[in-house]
Amino acid sequence: MNALELTDVRHAFHGRLAVDGLSLVVAPGEVLAMIGLNGAGKTTALRVLAGRLRPQAGRACVLGERSSRLSAPVAARFGQLIDTALLYPELTVRENLVLAGRLHGLDRTAASRVTDEVIERFALGPWAAARTRALSSGNRQRLGVATAVAHAPAAVILDEPTNALDPAGVVVVREAVRHLAAQGAGVLVSSHHLDEVSRIADRIVAVHAGRMVGALEPGGVDLERRFFDLVLAADEQSAAHS
Amino acid sequence: MTPRGTASWSAATAAMGTELLKLRRGTTIRLCTVLLVVLVPLSCIGAVALARAPNLPGVTAAKFAPYAVGDLATTHLQVLGQLLSIAVLLAGGFGCAWSFGREFTDGTIGALAGLPVGRGTVALAKGLVLAGWLACCVSASAVVTIALSLAAGGHPSPESWRAAVLAWAVGLLAVGLCLPFGWVASVTRSQLGTIGVLIAVVMLTQIVVTLGMGGWFPYAVPSLASGMGGTEAAQLGPASFVLTISMAPLGLGAVGLLWSRLDQT
Repeated sequence: MNALELTDVRHAFHGRLAVDGLSLVVAPGEVLAMIGLNGAGKTTALRVLAGRLRPQAGRACVLGERSSRLSAPVAARFGQLIDTALLYPELTVRENLVLAGRLHGLDRTAASRVTDEVIERFALGPWAAARTRALSSGNRQRLGVATAVAHAPAAVILDEPTNALDPAGVVVVREAVRHLAAQGAGVLVSSHHLDEVSRIADRIVAVHAGRMVGALEPGGVDLERRFFDLVLAADEQSAAHS
Repeated sequence: MTPRGTASWSAATAAMGTELLKLRRGTTIRLCTVLLVVLVPLSCIGAVALARAPNLPGVTAAKFAPYAVGDLATTHLQVLGQLLSIAVLLAGGFGCAWSFGREFTDGTIGALAGLPVGRGTVALAKGLVLAGWLACCVSASAVVTIALSLAAGGHPSPESWRAAVLAWAVGLLAVGLCLPFGWVASVTRSQLGTIGVLIAVVMLTQIVVTLGMGGWFPYAVPSLASGMGGTEAAQLGPASFVLTISMAPLGLGAVGLLWSRLDQT
């Protein structure tokens, strides 16, 4: 069974196609990176996959169930961070993590134990008792990723998980993502930081104008050039058809 | 309990615990608590003291004339009922605007998707926690007013106890009327928009009461029952109370359904 799956998904906002027949699969234990320019349709695809947006056509599944109506046992094995994290500024770092654990189906004891582990893994110890509103944007983002993965999900979606982080934070999140995959989770990461994507992903797919325009091998020094070649080819093909 | 029942119970307690923690930390909630538990009782004592002060200017004396006579403790508690009928609606309206509206303005509504605790359950937990908080404030307000009244020279009597029970019941009626503002906050997706609707409802209530149709308008019933419109207007039939009480389950049901079907665009 696939961890995450989009099948021929199509969605338009006010007549403008945001996602146009997009399909992808994330297998258990795999990190798939989705790259694309701003407005390429990445976040819309992730919202559909997370059950936050009902597509006008196509199917989105998490661990074999339709995203829009996950059963509680499957939802307890799913984590997502898209746009805004499950964080409340008036609560402390520790309280936010316990709250996220509880809402992800952990009982009080398990949520407290997992919070201790996650605070250590994400190097949030110095701020554990601080109100979230007092954190820097980088630490807030690190905490946001932590709230999405604290319950050790089997399927994870992370939208731009490293874009506000300093180099140390990037390493912490990268290691957390690889740790999840090593535990058997399927992880879908969206980003336009090509260097970072190259280090974190097992596979890379490029999205442009709402469509999948190709796959790229991680590693190598010319990822940026290969990505723009795919985008250019897609634009030329589109122009030739119109 | 069946496994499904256990999961539902666990989800409900997680949602209630989460909302209770957020409520305890909310600045809006803290300010509204002070309004209900401190300012309202002090206003009751102050209004009656002012009404009974010698050499009161004409306009003020006319305004406060109903409080100038009668048993001191009973008058304090009658004023409490009248103030609670408005203050609970305002505090609860602000509380609902904050609790429901913030998830949309802060963007956390999206992060509440795909959880084993459904968004409908979260919405119901919000409503129940807010109702519980307001009910506690109403009770505390009555206790503080009684204590202040005794300190100010009031003496308990069967009549004053009846006034206390009426004030408490009026406060609880107003609690139920706050819950539909959770639905308003979810439809408008705005805290300020909800406050706007709250102000509009208060103004509409004044107009409806002026037209003599207050008994059929739930938002006017607590004020009328407290005696704010006079003894005659306080004689309300059972239908008025059934209508008013039904606003709480209607509001909760509507917001629970709305949240369970939310679609982000």
